Amino acid sequence: MAPFSSLLRPFLRRAQTAQQPSLLGHPFRLLLRTVKYFCFAHLFWEYGYSIGPAEGPSMLPTFEVSNEWILISKLYRHGRGVQVGDLVNYKIPIEPHAEGIKRVVGLPGDYVLIDSPDSGSDAMIQVPPGHCWLVGDNLPASRDSRAFGPVPLALVRGKVLAKTWPFYEFQWMRNPLKEYSSVSDS
Amino acid sequence: MASLWARIGASSRTPFTRQFGTYLLGLATWVPVVVWFNTNVAEITLINGPSMYPFLNSHYNESTRRDLVLNWKLYAQESLARGMIVTFRTPHDPNKISVKRVIGLEGDIVHTRRPYPNGYIRVPPGHIWVEGDAADERLSIDSNTYGPISARLVTGRITHILSPWNKAGRVRWWEHVDRVGIVRG
Repeated sequence: MAPFSSLLRPFLRRAQTAQQPSLLGHPFRLLLRTVKYFCFAHLFWEYGYSIGPAEGPSMLPTFEVSNEWILISKLYRHGRGVQVGDLVNYKIPIEPHAEGIKRVVGLPGDYVLIDSPDSGSDAMIQVPPGHCWLVGDNLPASRDSRAFGPVPLALVRGKVLAKTWPFYEFQWMRNPLKEYSSVSDS
Repeated sequence: MASLWARIGASSRTPFTRQFGTYLLGLATWVPVVVWFNTNVAEITLINGPSMYPFLNSHYNESTRRDLVLNWKLYAQESLARGMIVTFRTPHDPNKISVKRVIGLEGDIVHTRRPYPNGYIRVPPGHIWVEGDAADERLSIDSNTYGPISARLVTGRITHILSPWNKAGRVRWWEHVDRVGIVRG
């Protein structure tokens, strides 16, 4: 018993001379600390990174209809640093609560097709300042800017960084336009 | 280098720096709480600009003093009504927040004012029509410039005026009568 008690001694001594009273003895202090942690977690979720399930057929070759989770970077909030070709998470402007994931096809000043390429119409629109043009990868099954027009960048919540689940299909999302533009830029 | 490190170490052992450090750290743990409260529950804001004259910033052309208001953010997008004064991120610049009055809700037919190209418009689903109170349309950049805005852009409602004292109190938005030229949908 003696060797064990000598091992435990520093802990026992600390417990005896602790300056902070133990947390569980002060329910109010525990509550305050819980509130602080929740607020910190909320800020991290809202302004840092978040993970969540993606559902629906509108992004089909890129994301399956269900059972897939994605990692979103909120550092791209309000479209900050978003480029054409990126996948963004946005608040659907015509619905009170729903959110969606679409691909950025045009940014302020760009000219974009109003309808699908195979619709026969080649009418174009210039994306107004502060807006972006979002279109799903699965054109026939996607409700996007072709239906509700340009989306204010203020409704963009973040950029999709990766597919995280199922784990064996983990995949960073690469901007398909980047490799070409980097060639032309250099 | 080593002596410098030793000096820093020594200074951190002095009671004042350590106490002050722990005090600052304890204060920093409250920052997320304050930020969360200000973005999700309520915030006290100053009103810039003359677009809500004469209701807010009544003396915009006489003094630089601005009105202090309470911006209530909890469930601000739920059950919006005509007459409410809302703050929202402007559609043309995501970093700017604007304050205007809700004039039309979804389905309403609004007869527009000057800069708008069409004479009237039906407000699309999920959108609202916002305008400044100013009678002079040049004082306000609102839906007549950028069209109906998505209700998702709304960040809060102005529920109370805090200063100046003579008009401090609740914003009685329900007493506001519809602007001429609104056909309720």
